[in-house]
Amino acid sequence: MKPLNKTLTGLLSALLLFAGYNGFSQGAEKATLSIAISYFNTNNRIPYVAVNAKSKLTGRFQPVGGVAIKLYLDKDSAGTFIGRVVTSEKGEAHTFIPPSVQKEWATSKSHTFLATFDGDKVYDPAKADLTVGKAKISIDTVGRSVVATLVELKDTTWTPVKGADVILAVRRLGGDLNINETPTFATDSTGKASGDFKRDTMPGDAKGNITLVAKIVDNEQFGNLSIEKTVPWGAKFKYTSTFNERTLFATRDKAPIWLQLIAYSIMIAVWGILIYLVFNVIKIKKLGESTK
Amino acid sequence: MENLLVNEKIADQEATDAMAIADEQIIADLLPQKFGKWGKIWTGFLLAICLLGMYAYYRQLRYGLIVTNMKDYVSWGIYISNFVFFVAISLVGSLITAVFRLANVHWSTPLTRIAEMIAVAAIIFASLIIIVDMGSPERFYNLFTHGRIQSPIIWDVIVITTYFFISILLLFYPLLPDIKILLRFKERSGNALHKFYNYIGSFWKGTPEQFKLSDKAINILCITIIPVAFTIHTVTSWLFATTYRPGWDSTNFGAYFIAGAFLVGSGSVVVAMYVFRKAYHLEKYITENHFEKLGRIVVLLALLYLYFNVNEFLTPAFKMKESESAYLNGLFSGNFSPVFWFAIIIGMILPILILVFKKGRKPLPMFIVGIMVVVGAWFKRYLIVTPTLLHPFLPMHDVPASYRHYFPSWEEWAITCGSLAGALLIITILARIFPIIPIQETITEQHETVK
Repeated sequence: MKPLNKTLTGLLSALLLFAGYNGFSQGAEKATLSIAISYFNTNNRIPYVAVNAKSKLTGRFQPVGGVAIKLYLDKDSAGTFIGRVVTSEKGEAHTFIPPSVQKEWATSKSHTFLATFDGDKVYDPAKADLTVGKAKISIDTVGRSVVATLVELKDTTWTPVKGADVILAVRRLGGDLNINETPTFATDSTGKASGDFKRDTMPGDAKGNITLVAKIVDNEQFGNLSIEKTVPWGAKFKYTSTFNERTLFATRDKAPIWLQLIAYSIMIAVWGILIYLVFNVIKIKKLGESTK
Repeated sequence: MENLLVNEKIADQEATDAMAIADEQIIADLLPQKFGKWGKIWTGFLLAICLLGMYAYYRQLRYGLIVTNMKDYVSWGIYISNFVFFVAISLVGSLITAVFRLANVHWSTPLTRIAEMIAVAAIIFASLIIIVDMGSPERFYNLFTHGRIQSPIIWDVIVITTYFFISILLLFYPLLPDIKILLRFKERSGNALHKFYNYIGSFWKGTPEQFKLSDKAINILCITIIPVAFTIHTVTSWLFATTYRPGWDSTNFGAYFIAGAFLVGSGSVVVAMYVFRKAYHLEKYITENHFEKLGRIVVLLALLYLYFNVNEFLTPAFKMKESESAYLNGLFSGNFSPVFWFAIIIGMILPILILVFKKGRKPLPMFIVGIMVVVGAWFKRYLIVTPTLLHPFLPMHDVPASYRHYFPSWEEWAITCGSLAGALLIITILARIFPIIPIQETITEQHETVK
């Protein structure tokens, strides 16, 4: 084989080797992005849409942050554009339904939300949609019972929804606590679901107010609806401040007496000795001067 | 009979004359000496490092603590490590001077002044380094106007100030009889120094009344300094132990710190006595016997400190709590392991192995061991501060990567080295001004030995 042929063969082999190396082909293969849409309406106010982006990494779904997703109402056009959101590091983003689509929103009893991702260097383009019907939830109390009513828009009238699972709970700082042992209550033919309030010792605010909540969660037809009502059913919470007590963690003028006694006694004793010893030097000095 | 009395008188006279000659010889040997060539080079070297440190501190004042590499995680860096080191080393004054004096240990007399000089120099720089760590020095004023008696930081400020004054007094009182001797040698000491001696001690006439008052004061100081010394380092340890963090959450910290302090203090005295012995030819006064005896003490203290270290690290390592595992593994086999094992092996185990043998307690091996102990102790203080701060129980979210690592900036190194050089400079200057070995005490002990 001539030297030139040897060189060419060598170069070709090297090229083939590199072509088979995964590291060079990684740029061409993009990952699949999975988008999920959720619909929320709290206290029958302006509804909002939340999106969740995730992708399979090392066999598990991981949230994907920094992904720009466009949201549309019913159809992908400029007039029905809800907004553009960018996911957080938890893969989440949300936006309220803007006034610009109010006209479109009023035209129908149910709507489809569209989410589109145009793709980037890492992920292929992706789409998702969610259809929800318009519904309202209300909350009321009868004695110590909580009553929630769920109605949906049919044609032009609000009609009770039967058989929907409603959660009746009390809103707390870390989450919602059911009003009794029953996790969910099904609505009857009048759209009502009721449960007895059995959290009598629940601490409320200074007036004993607590917040009741009725909600449907991830309902296939209506999404997530919730409504709140404040009732004076809780125990009155009386805050007793320890701020003005004498503690190790209080301000300097609130130092514990025992600590002050010990600390200042030690300081006075030791510095008393030191001052005595300084006077002792003066005494020695005087003795020396008198010796002259 | 008459001949016998005459002979006795002559013998007494001869003994007195011999003693007088010996006294003069002791004075001549122990008077402060002017710097030789090496002394000047040494002083110049220390001054240069101090100046570099001062320039770095100027930069810190000009631009703020941003010039350091301390961040939200490691907010106590090399400065606080250095502070703990200085506080530890200052404890030697109480050990060598007070404990030994009260225990009637006479062999330590030539070492007392060295120990006190080290203590004074160390406590001065312990105070200064805290002000450096504050960033803006005027904040020190706030400690007095807004300080809370409940805070261990205030306890530390109080106790350091107290210890400083006691150390100064303990250096000053035993100096008085020596000042009287120094005043006799105006030509040798020069005008400026003579004036200084005159100012601080010309009133000392050596009368029995003066000696009585001075001895009483020294005894009171020796008794007072021991609890204060224990307090100063216990309170310093509480700065850490009262904070809930891995490695600091220990009830053992006070005793652990004091044991370490006595070890590093003794190590520093060993180094200083070797250097002074060589530089000023004091072989007659700092004998091999001193090294032998101090060596035994150092080995005992090293064993004690090793025991506390086993307590501090073995029991948490045995449990290996999830919240502490990153910190402990970092020390045993992680990023900090070279420094950790260096501090344990070089600072404790090797000194023990060397000093248990009689040959190891000779001056030169003792000097090497002293350096090992001091260097090991400095790194030990670094390990007490930094790894713990890098591993909080509740880590912050989304912190920049630079927060998770700490390596001091050149300004921090320069200020730290400057402070160490400053402490050595103070010791050097004190050794130039005052006798390194107490002259009067040496003479008195000599007389007692002859009797």
